[in-house]
Amino acid sequence: MGCIGASVFAPFILRQAQDERSKSRQPLPMPFVVSLSNHERLVPLMRGLLLILMLCSGSAHAADVLHLYNWNNYISEETIARFEAQCACRVVQDYYSDNEEMLAKLAAGATGYDLIVPTGNAMESLIRQNALRPLDKGLLPNLKNIDQAYLNTAFDPGNSYSVPYAYTLTLIGYNREKMRELDLPVDSWAVIFEPRHLEKLKGRVTVLDSQRELLAAALKYLGYSANDTDEAHWKQARDLIIRAKPYWAAFNASSYIKELTVGNIWLVHGYSNDIFQADLDAQKAGRKFRIVASIPKEGAVLALDSMVLHKSGPRPDLAHRFIDFMLDGRNSAELTNLIGSGNPNRDALQYIKPEVAHNPAVFPGRKQQARLEMLRDLDRHQRRVLSRIWTEIKLR
Amino acid sequence: MPGCSCVTEPARKLVTAARLTKWVVSGPPFLFLLLFFVIPGIIMVLASFRYPGEFGGLAPLTAADPATLQGVTLETYRFFFSDPIYGQVFVKSIFMALATTLICLTMAYPLALLIARSPKKSRDLMVLLVILPFASNFLIRVYAWMIVLGPQSALSRLVNGLLHGLGMEPVHLLFSPFAVLVAMVYVHLPFMVLPLYTNLEKHDPSLLDAAQDLGASAWQRFWRVTFPLSLPGIFSGSALVFIPVLGMFAVPDILGGTGDMLIGNLIKEQFLGTRDWPFGSTLSIMLTIAVLLIAWLAARLAGRRGSYG
Amino acid sequence: MDNATMRRGRWLWAAALAVYAFLYVPLAIVVAYSFNDSRLNAEWVGFTWHWYEVLLHDEAMLTAAGNSLLIALVSSLVSTALGTMAGIAMHRYKLKLLTFMVLTPVAMPEILLGVSLLLFFIQVLNLTLGMLSIVLAHITFSIGFVAVIVRARLAGMDESIFEAARDLGASPWETFRYITFPLILPGVVAGGLMAFTLSIDDFVITFFTAGVGVSTLPLHIYSMIKIAVTPEVNAVSTLLMLLTLTMIVLAAKFAPDVLKGKT
Repeated sequence: MGCIGASVFAPFILRQAQDERSKSRQPLPMPFVVSLSNHERLVPLMRGLLLILMLCSGSAHAADVLHLYNWNNYISEETIARFEAQCACRVVQDYYSDNEEMLAKLAAGATGYDLIVPTGNAMESLIRQNALRPLDKGLLPNLKNIDQAYLNTAFDPGNSYSVPYAYTLTLIGYNREKMRELDLPVDSWAVIFEPRHLEKLKGRVTVLDSQRELLAAALKYLGYSANDTDEAHWKQARDLIIRAKPYWAAFNASSYIKELTVGNIWLVHGYSNDIFQADLDAQKAGRKFRIVASIPKEGAVLALDSMVLHKSGPRPDLAHRFIDFMLDGRNSAELTNLIGSGNPNRDALQYIKPEVAHNPAVFPGRKQQARLEMLRDLDRHQRRVLSRIWTEIKLR
Repeated sequence: MPGCSCVTEPARKLVTAARLTKWVVSGPPFLFLLLFFVIPGIIMVLASFRYPGEFGGLAPLTAADPATLQGVTLETYRFFFSDPIYGQVFVKSIFMALATTLICLTMAYPLALLIARSPKKSRDLMVLLVILPFASNFLIRVYAWMIVLGPQSALSRLVNGLLHGLGMEPVHLLFSPFAVLVAMVYVHLPFMVLPLYTNLEKHDPSLLDAAQDLGASAWQRFWRVTFPLSLPGIFSGSALVFIPVLGMFAVPDILGGTGDMLIGNLIKEQFLGTRDWPFGSTLSIMLTIAVLLIAWLAARLAGRRGSYG
Repeated sequence: MDNATMRRGRWLWAAALAVYAFLYVPLAIVVAYSFNDSRLNAEWVGFTWHWYEVLLHDEAMLTAAGNSLLIALVSSLVSTALGTMAGIAMHRYKLKLLTFMVLTPVAMPEILLGVSLLLFFIQVLNLTLGMLSIVLAHITFSIGFVAVIVRARLAGMDESIFEAARDLGASPWETFRYITFPLILPGVVAGGLMAFTLSIDDFVITFFTAGVGVSTLPLHIYSMIKIAVTPEVNAVSTLLMLLTLTMIVLAAKFAPDVLKGKT
């Protein structure tokens, strides 16, 4: 039985059946709903059978389990497998596709995570909530590998709680051949927000389904800081977005990777590692186009994601081992080579494939770095106002 | 009869036992629903008068630091009514629900009529065929439309081929209000067919014969006899489609484009995105009120029509 | 039959066939694409069994399936007991308040029950969301369905049997044990199975009461659809549909009465 509608219809049908019975004073026929539920009763049995079958195919449970709450598509299976072999434990992952989603789930009582990989602003919020466990740096000899530039951020001064994992940029990703063909600029947010460019791309553009990221891109294009909280500027950004919206295909947080690969979507506002992934997939599938990323000249958002220990995690020991494992240059480099994330690990650079190392969307040059901004956390009032702006954006 | 007041001396014991039985039977479900349905409902109403917590949840009722938000407030209601945008979300959702209901009705009626007029033997099978798609999970039925409406699908190519032939712009079927509407209809259609069929099946064929003998044409027979008699079925089917569509968030979430936000999505976002539980509670209460109003309206309408039929 | 009736008959058939096609074509496509040899699953590439293999080794999927099964078993057992009581109470004592409490959760949009339970579990019970919260939520919405089915069963009965039993000196328990229960048993079984199905299929209420650590099959399917759709989703859908179909065919063959509703 379908879940949503099912939950309403039985009593109505019954009530109707009964009403009609009482009206017509017929001898009682089998109430319809019972004969319905007789069809229905077969369904669960089968479901049960399937589930039992699925269970019998079996899964061995190791006693040592590390619970990781991570971004989707943010670690390679090979890396996980190697860590599992090394520690003789199992890694269980749950995923999120937006910091806000992760924070909301934690606020709604999600527990049991040893490790989380939040972005700076979300980490700041977790630290202020007193939800994190301080690191024992004695257990992290590889910490020395991290580039000083990524330590001691405003989000966690002194790195008492966090170790940089990787960074991603939120930028423009595009189908190189299509954009050449249409002769569109790819070095500016204008191509995402200006109708004169979008006219050629109607229905071929997606933007992130993230209030913060989209607002930041619009603010950047308008010449403001990504962390601007002036409501008047937010409204300007809103109007910019609403004007461009009719040309966009969707707000999308993850499946745009596939859409780029298939060739349905030609231009995205997305994460650098996702765009990297889309290009790999497109090449693997033998597409005749490349997916390329570029940092708009107006600037973009840099998200430094760090590994932190959640207080609710039962295995801080395994979590420390995992962090140190990921700090090893080779493992860290694997992450970059496979998923195209930026790497704050100096020791990793030597293992990174040259084509990745020279990709400016993965490793931005010094000039571009100056244009990147990290997002700060919003307070509850700002969150509510932003949510209303988001509602207007979605509705208009 | 239990509860009968004409108690004679020998029956007193029995009455006590009956009273005990009444409590034993109705007590456990009553307590369970009190705890897990009524009290959560009350909590939700109370939560709508609180401030949101800094990190989610609710702000404390009392805090040592006077600078922190605390206590009880009408803030969320003020916020709700301060901007017409939220009213617009409701109107939009109601229109979506209305459109879904009407399309379901149009599609379900002929089918229900056909089943009801088929030989008894084949009716079970025909009803089964309507229910069978429900053997697959709700999400799978929504996902099916991702494939059917995708840009590479045969349907998309056909539609865009035709449009091209007519010299028109190609359209995107997926991630659009159209996709949301189609999936809403698809998911809820059986809820319209079943009550309609239950109703139509009970009609006395001699009424139609009589109408025919009196010279009524096929259309007249339908509009004057079948249709009015089927109104109760139409109303219960409509309620079964309308109410769940009103609170739906998964379909716009999966198939919607850039403008497909319904109340359900807004409520979900408050709890699982913005971390604004008081405002989410306020929205939920508004949705409850909307559902109750609509149910009441439908009941009145059905009542009046019912007496006419 | 006059011409007009025949013409209308044909028209009805055409409309009905169109509706049946509307119901079945999308599902048929889901099944077909489960054999698609393409991870992206946007266009047909070639035939493969690969996704069924992937499915059988997908530990997250299997764990989610196991959770779904366990939750459905526990919640359907409890809600059948409570729902049966509620059904009897509603029928016999005509308790207005109880009837309201039983039927309302069933008639409201699911999201409302979901968020109010989320608030209640976190804010009042301070319960960690997981198996227990899901089970409690599922019991809450299932009670109504069981109660309604049991009440319908009772409504069709001749009250004089119960009176006769009492007149013959049966205690309320004996009346229930030897008269009422055997008579309503088919309704109880049907209600229990309905509760099981609803639980195993529920998405919305589970979505709000599950937290993140515990996944059920529908939640897992949802995240696959949202994040990375591969034909594995089609494969799991196909298996579920296939089993349903087999059971119905078997039932029709070995217990045709069940299909006709003669319990």
